[in-house]
Amino acid sequence: MAFLLRRLCFYLAAFVAAATINFFLPRLMPGDPVQIMFSSAGAELPPESLQALKLTFGFVDGPLWQQYLTYLGSIFSGDLGRSIKYFPLPVTTVLGNALVWTAGLMGTATLVSFALGTFLGILAAWRRGSLFDVIVSVGAIFATSVPAVVTSLIVVFTFGFTLGWFPTGYAADPALDPAFSLTYFGSVIYHGLLPMLTLCAVLTGGFAVTMRNNMINLLGEDYIVMARAKGLSDTRVMLWYAARNALLPTVSSLAIAIGTVLGGSLVTEVVFNYPGLGNILYQAILARDYPVIQGQLLIMTATMLVANFVVDISYVLLDPRLKRA
Amino acid sequence: MKTSSFPLIHNRKAMVGALIVAFILLVAIAAPLLTTYDPSARVGRPHQAPSLDHWLGTTRIGQDVFARLIYGARTSLAVGFGAGLLITAVGTALGIIAGYRGGKVDEVISFFTNMVLVVPNLPLLLVLAAFIGQASPWVIALILGGTSWAWGARVTRAETLSVKQKDYVKSAEMMGEPRWRIMTFEIFPNLISIVGINFIGSVIFAIITQATLEFLGLGDPKVVSWGTMLYGAQKASALSVGAWWDILTPCFALAFLGIGLSLLNFAVDEIANPRLRTGNRLGRWSALIRSGEGRL
Repeated sequence: MAFLLRRLCFYLAAFVAAATINFFLPRLMPGDPVQIMFSSAGAELPPESLQALKLTFGFVDGPLWQQYLTYLGSIFSGDLGRSIKYFPLPVTTVLGNALVWTAGLMGTATLVSFALGTFLGILAAWRRGSLFDVIVSVGAIFATSVPAVVTSLIVVFTFGFTLGWFPTGYAADPALDPAFSLTYFGSVIYHGLLPMLTLCAVLTGGFAVTMRNNMINLLGEDYIVMARAKGLSDTRVMLWYAARNALLPTVSSLAIAIGTVLGGSLVTEVVFNYPGLGNILYQAILARDYPVIQGQLLIMTATMLVANFVVDISYVLLDPRLKRA
Repeated sequence: MKTSSFPLIHNRKAMVGALIVAFILLVAIAAPLLTTYDPSARVGRPHQAPSLDHWLGTTRIGQDVFARLIYGARTSLAVGFGAGLLITAVGTALGIIAGYRGGKVDEVISFFTNMVLVVPNLPLLLVLAAFIGQASPWVIALILGGTSWAWGARVTRAETLSVKQKDYVKSAEMMGEPRWRIMTFEIFPNLISIVGINFIGSVIFAIITQATLEFLGLGDPKVVSWGTMLYGAQKASALSVGAWWDILTPCFALAFLGIGLSLLNFAVDEIANPRLRTGNRLGRWSALIRSGEGRL
C-alpha cells in the first residue's frame, strides 16, 4: 500500500509539473502573454468571455504566485477554459468527445499488439536461432525503426487509396446517425480497423522483442531444467513455467509503451483523418487554438499517469514481493 | 575467436547500416552536384509524374521532388545528429553525476528524470513548438535536447552504479583524484558503449520527431527537409489526387535512414558489449529506441 501511495504522490507531482509548463510558456515568450494566448480569438470573442478565459488561465492582477495559484485552481476544478476554434465549447468537452475515439483506438491496438507481440516473443525465444526467430527479430527491428507517420501514410496509400478496401477518413459513415444499432457499430469497426492495424504494426515489434529477451534470460534457470526433467510437456514448460515469469517485466515495459502509443495514435489519427485527440490537436495547431493545445497536454499527461498507475497496481498483484514492501 | 582492431568491419549488420547512413550522408553533401534544380523554386508544372526531366516528379506547386529529397537530407541529418549529440550529452552528464555522487544529488536528479519520463514526450513537444510558432530546424533540435534526455540519464546512472564499484575507481579515490576527474576519465570511458547506443538511438528519435513535428505543421514550411516535404504533400492532399511520388518519396527516405541507423545501433551494441550478446542486447536496444517515443 505504501508503494502505491508513494507512486500516487509522484504522479500528482508530475501532473502539477505539466500544468506548470503550461502556465509559464506563454509568460516566457517575448511579448504580451495574453495577446499570445488568445491571438487567434480576434474580435469574434465577446469581451466577457475573453475576461472569463483570462481568469481561467491565471491572467489576474497580482503577483506571479497568485496568478499561478489561480491557474492551478481552475485546472483542479476541471476548468480548462474554452476552445477558440470551437467557441463556445469548453476545452474539456472538445477533448472529452475526442478522447473516447482515441481511447478506443489506443486500447484495442495496445491489447492486440501486446497479445500478439508477447505470443511471437514466446515462440521466438523457445525456438531461439531458428528461421522463425530470425524473421521475428529482424522484422521487429525494421518495424520499430520506421516512423509511425511513414507507416500510416504507406498503409493509407495502399489499402485506402490504391486498393480502396477501407475508408480514408471519419470514425463512422457520416451519413449514419450515432445510435445503438448494428449498422452503426459495424461502420465504426470498419472505419477504425485500418488505423488500429497500423498502430499494431507500429507496436507489436517492441513487445515481441521485450518478451523474447525476458524469455531467453529465464530459459537457463534451474526450475526450467527441473520442469523438463520431470517430463512435463514442452507446451506446459513454455507457457506455465517460462512465459508466466517472463511476463512480469513485460508488464512494466507496457507502462513505458503507453507514451509511445499516445504519440503514435496522434499521428495515425491525423493521417487517417480519425476524429480523436490527434486530429483535434492538429486542427487546434493549425488554428493556433492555445487553450485546446494546452488542454491536450494535461489530458494526455493524465491519461499516461492513470495508465501508469494501473500498471503499478497490476504489478503489485502480479509480484507478491511488492505486497510486503 | 578472431579478434580485430576494427570489429565493426566484420559485422554484417554494422556494414549494411553504415553503408546506408554513409550513402545518405554522401548524397546530402553532394546535393548540388546531383541536381541543377533549386529545391525551393517552382521549376515545373504542378504534380507532374516522375519523368526524365523530374526524376521523382514535382510537388503541388511545381518544385522538383528529387532536389527537395537530397537537399532535405541535409536538414534531417543535421538536426538528427545535432539533437542526438545534445540529448546524449545532457543524459550522460546527469546520469554519471547522479550515479557517482549518490545521496541527495542522486535523489534530485532521479526525481526529475522520472518526472520527465512520465510526462508524454510528443504532446509536450507539441505545446512547446506551438508557442514558438514556426520553429526552425535548430529550435526543434534545441527543444528535443531539452526534453528527451531522461532515458539516457536513467540508463547511464544504472551503469555508473556498477562501474563505480570497480577497483580502479576505488584506487583513484584513494589517490585523492578530484571527483570531476574520476567522473570524466575513470568512469566515462567505461560507459562508452552505453553512450554510443544512447547517441544513435537519440539520432533516430530526433530525426523521426523532427519529421513528425514538421508534418503536423509546427515547423517552418520554407525550410527544405523531409518533414516539410511530408507536410506539403499532406496539405496538397497528394494521396487523394494520386500524386504518390510527392508523399512516398520522403516516406521511404525516412524509413531507409531509420533502418540504417537501427542496424548500426544494433551492431555497436553487440560489439561493444559482449555481455549483451547472450540475449539481452535486443531488449536494451529496443528500450532505447522506444525511450522517448522513438516510434512516433
